[in-house]
Amino acid sequence: MKAGPSRTNRPDNTAFTQQRLPAWQPILSAGIVIPGFTLIGLAFIGVGVALFVTSQKITDLEIDYTGVAATSPCFKCTSFAAENCMCQMEFTLTTLFEGPVFFYYGLTSYYQNFRTYGVSKDGYQLSGDTYYFNNPQDSCAPYQYDSNNNPIVPCGSIANSMFSDTFQLYQVVNGMKKQVPLDGKGIAWWTDYNIKYSNPALVNGSFANAFSGTVKPVNWSKPVYELDPTDQANNGFLNQNFLVWMRQAALPKFQKLYGRIAEGDYAQGLPAGNYTLLINYSYPVISFGGTKKVVLSNVSWMGGKNQFLGIAYLVIGSLCIVMAMVMLIIYAKYKFTDDDEDM
Amino acid sequence: KQQVRSYKYSPLTFLPLNLYEQFQRAANFFFLLIVVMQVCGSVSCSNLTAQTHFMCTTVCLCVCVCVCRGAVFVVCVSVCVVTVCMRVCVCADLLLLCSTEPHSLCFIETFRKQIIKLLPLLFPPTLSLSLPLLVSISCSFFSSAGVVWCEEPNGQLYSFQGKLHWKGQCHLLDSEHMLLRGTILRNTDTAYGLAIYTGSDTKILRNCGRLKVKKTQVERFLNKIVLSLLMVALLLAVGSGLFEHLISPRIEVLSGISANFPAAYRGFLTFWGYIILLSPAMPMSLYITFELIHIVHCLLIGWDLEMYWGKRNSPAQARATSLNEELGQVGHLLSDKTGTLTQNHLLFRQCCVAGHIYGIWNRFSCGGLLFSDQRLTNCLRERRCPESREFFTALALCHTVMSEWKDGLPRYQAASPDEEALVSAARELGWVFLSRTRDSLTLSELGFTHCYRLLALLDFTSKRRRMSVLVRNPEGELKLYCKGADIVILERLRKDSPHQESTEQALEVFAQRCLRTLCVAGRSVSEAQWTEWSHALSQAAMATTYRETLLEELYEHMEKDLMMLGVTAIEDRLQEGVPETICSLRRAGVKVWVLTGDKTETAVNVGYACKLMDPDTCLLQGEELRIRLHFSMCLQTELIKTPEAGARFVSLSNQCQSVLCCRVTPGQKAEVVQLVRKYSSSITMAIGDGANDVNMIKTAHIGVGLCGVEGSQAVQNADFALAQFSFLRRLLLVHGRWSYRRICSFLHYFLYKTTSFALVHIWYSLYNGFSAQPMYESWFIALYTIMYTSLPVKCLGFFEQDMSSESSLRWPEVYLAGQRHELLNPLSLGVALLYSIYTSIILFFLPMGVFQDSDLDYQTLAITVQTSAVFSVTVEIILQTKFWTKYNFAAVAFCLALYFLSTVILHSPRLFLAFPKDYIFFGTCVISLIDTEKA
Repeated sequence: MKAGPSRTNRPDNTAFTQQRLPAWQPILSAGIVIPGFTLIGLAFIGVGVALFVTSQKITDLEIDYTGVAATSPCFKCTSFAAENCMCQMEFTLTTLFEGPVFFYYGLTSYYQNFRTYGVSKDGYQLSGDTYYFNNPQDSCAPYQYDSNNNPIVPCGSIANSMFSDTFQLYQVVNGMKKQVPLDGKGIAWWTDYNIKYSNPALVNGSFANAFSGTVKPVNWSKPVYELDPTDQANNGFLNQNFLVWMRQAALPKFQKLYGRIAEGDYAQGLPAGNYTLLINYSYPVISFGGTKKVVLSNVSWMGGKNQFLGIAYLVIGSLCIVMAMVMLIIYAKYKFTDDDEDM
Repeated sequence: KQQVRSYKYSPLTFLPLNLYEQFQRAANFFFLLIVVMQVCGSVSCSNLTAQTHFMCTTVCLCVCVCVCRGAVFVVCVSVCVVTVCMRVCVCADLLLLCSTEPHSLCFIETFRKQIIKLLPLLFPPTLSLSLPLLVSISCSFFSSAGVVWCEEPNGQLYSFQGKLHWKGQCHLLDSEHMLLRGTILRNTDTAYGLAIYTGSDTKILRNCGRLKVKKTQVERFLNKIVLSLLMVALLLAVGSGLFEHLISPRIEVLSGISANFPAAYRGFLTFWGYIILLSPAMPMSLYITFELIHIVHCLLIGWDLEMYWGKRNSPAQARATSLNEELGQVGHLLSDKTGTLTQNHLLFRQCCVAGHIYGIWNRFSCGGLLFSDQRLTNCLRERRCPESREFFTALALCHTVMSEWKDGLPRYQAASPDEEALVSAARELGWVFLSRTRDSLTLSELGFTHCYRLLALLDFTSKRRRMSVLVRNPEGELKLYCKGADIVILERLRKDSPHQESTEQALEVFAQRCLRTLCVAGRSVSEAQWTEWSHALSQAAMATTYRETLLEELYEHMEKDLMMLGVTAIEDRLQEGVPETICSLRRAGVKVWVLTGDKTETAVNVGYACKLMDPDTCLLQGEELRIRLHFSMCLQTELIKTPEAGARFVSLSNQCQSVLCCRVTPGQKAEVVQLVRKYSSSITMAIGDGANDVNMIKTAHIGVGLCGVEGSQAVQNADFALAQFSFLRRLLLVHGRWSYRRICSFLHYFLYKTTSFALVHIWYSLYNGFSAQPMYESWFIALYTIMYTSLPVKCLGFFEQDMSSESSLRWPEVYLAGQRHELLNPLSLGVALLYSIYTSIILFFLPMGVFQDSDLDYQTLAITVQTSAVFSVTVEIILQTKFWTKYNFAAVAFCLALYFLSTVILHSPRLFLAFPKDYIFFGTCVISLIDTEKA
């Protein structure tokens, strides 16, 4: 601090205050832009071709079993009267379906991304907090308590509307049905299975006792602790199909993983031959014009079959090239003297 | 106990009043709505109530400053007698009762920073009044039922009319008796005053006027965007209603949730949901960043060394913080002449006495020796010429200068530099003004001291343009001396006044030499005339209504049949760099208008001198102008007020190189500015230095005050304060241009980044049943504008330069872009909006193509879209930035790093386990970016 009577208001002479900061001032001249566009275009085309070719290599097979048409084997199951209805779809593979094969079920016109639907669950309950078993959160309403005012576990609309069709796949070998094992383990997200969801602790050595005083969701046929009685690690909230269902789909047309075919005779894939798909048909979709299907597919490094991404890359890459051409023509025709000096 | 409140807000009323003021801005209301909606659970689609900052606008600050100025130490003695101590700011408008000084005089520093003397009215000179004594006096004052009559509170700082009835006498009160709030007591120990106006009734507060919130073009556009967002939300709500009505009932899982409510109600809720989702398109941070950039630009103006004037130790000053971009668009510059183009350092150069011109025009003189003419000194010494003696007596008497003795010499303190120059000149030639009391003036005439009794002082006003004194000279004769503008004096001369012709010739000669002229005249007054007149004067002074006009008539009556004594010519030199500045401003397309009170010839010559006009310019004057404008009367501002004439005048002036308005009064200056504002779409800037320019400065879009000789009033009312006219060049061509470009780029980019981000919700709504499902993680929505993308655009707003300052000054033509609104107009903003809609389409539909019919879930889609949103706006800012300082690099890198880092943190298991409801996206980023094996 200078203790002088003449305090000066003179501003500081720094690069910042005088706005003289050193700076890099790129100029987008033709010499940069045209090669730049060409390079970007080529790169995009390269990526696009790779994606497209990979996607072409992926085989997939879709089997629609909604049963709208009267000729469909599942037509009989579409009426309301049908309960515990089973139907069979036949299909034939002419060549080996390379493995590992993924087994999906798919729905359309199904708004799993509807906002009020998406919030209709109780995260505390699903993490195994037994306090919320008896006091489900309000977000679950109207699937919070049943008509007798018993708390529903798992509460909420998502759980209540869980996909209930089950599938069995058989290969027809010499007129005999040979079951193709569908591995339903390890299809849910690791974080969901290990951290986000957990079962309540056993009460008196019984898993079912932990759920005493609660009722199953209205639409379910069996309570949550009986989802897979054979395997405790796949039971309750940790049932993998349940976890897959609880993860909201992005768009109204979606698929969800049901199982993998990667065991035994089918580790290399599905050999050519006739197959039968046995469906336990119970999930209603016709009322809202939706469809149900089963998809068999193998995957590559880029995921499932998807031609869109490759095509998008190709289109943008070619657009870049075209733009570069146009600019080159314009540049050649009206050569600006200034640009020449720059180059 | 009586209390007077003189601040705008009290703790109790601050909130409601301030909120009322804030919500006059549509956007603020919108923000409140958003906050309420966010809290309201049934609609809120994000579980955060972030962005609840409250904006602190400059409006608020301005008021606070005003408040602080008033609240200084004051002791309230009785109900309304107030004691003011030395160097203390007066707290209310007081009627001065007495002071501790001899003669009970009282000196104050006015708003103009001048020291003036006030005259206490009531009490006989009292030495060192003690407090108890004062209490007793004030008690006696009230016990004897003194009554003060005063006018209604008003904002006229320099006039006050009132009467005091006390002890059967009627005393007249005027502004000389008032201690106004905000003035500072000087050279006086203590003064006692009777509070007349307090609180918001005080003149200074009345004069502040209502604070108007200035609506700029940008703000109007932003309001439109807010409206269109509401419309879009409404459309989506209709879509939602239709969906709920037509589709949802058939889907049991959806209708089950909302079965209790009708479709219309669901649509209504969705409307608010979409308002929340679309609100990031117009975030509060836009306004905050906008203000911040303005403030930084203002600081940069103040920091500029090249606008720092070492002689006065004054840097440039940006007093208004919202006008920076308008600096880059100025189309009309209206300038005062005296003190603005010129230095206002006046030198007495020549005079014309009795038809003879004295004084040598020496163009190399530097002002040391002001004036020398042997002939004149001889003439005075030999007492040959009575007119010349009269002339200098008049100069020494007819003024309002105060003298202060320092080191045995009188120092003059004058309200205007003209007066000082004239009185000093008289002193140099032997007529020394020594001192002044309330009713007398002491002169030393060639060594002999004379005392003149001052009978009346007929004040100078800008309307009268003259002042007179009526004195009784030592010989007992009554004399009137009058000094004023030439036309005013010439028309009041006696018919047979000698030397009229030669004087007029002299006036012309002086005008051609750019000298400021004043005429001095005088007459003798008979005793009878005086008695009659003084009687009339005291009666008129008693009048409470029309007092001004009555007095004026009386003054008129006295100031007639004058004898011409002489003409003074004062030189006022141009400031440094004025011609160059005007020249480059003209090249930059700025129309420079000079408004001056001078004679036409003087103005024209100054015009040539400061390159306002080239030698080969064709002058349109008087008659010619009238013909061009097609109206038959003299060109006066009253006429220009009629609409079609005004429009014609401005359109004609647009074809002219420059415009000189001569003989304009302060009021007319403001009218001219008003006229230009009204009939041309360009931004007007007014620059001036004195109190007479305040009107003009306030009327123009941008007011610039020069810290000149004539006090600080212009500066206090201005938006920008400069020390020199030539700094204007840098202010406009460099700072203004940069500000304009930066703010335009900032606005375009900011709108782009927020709308492209928010409009994605429109496209997503087509695929989620119009359910107001957010496209992004709620944390991302909250952090996007304030963290992930905020720094690079701030750097753009702070540092961007398309040309260096040297180039901007060398090629002023580049300034034209601002005047034509090339960078910011509805079209360019519309294009930016279309571009952002295009981006939002790409942002949504490309991922949608990939996700359609796949097993990828909603959270993965959200992460994909938000990452591409961050990338695309970052690429856009990289393309927009043309001036990469180290800060720009750092900002871009930092924001990208911040995005990835905070996404990983927000998705970490630790946070999820602690707050499972707030961090529902946990695990998503890792799984969706790394785990492709499963898919």
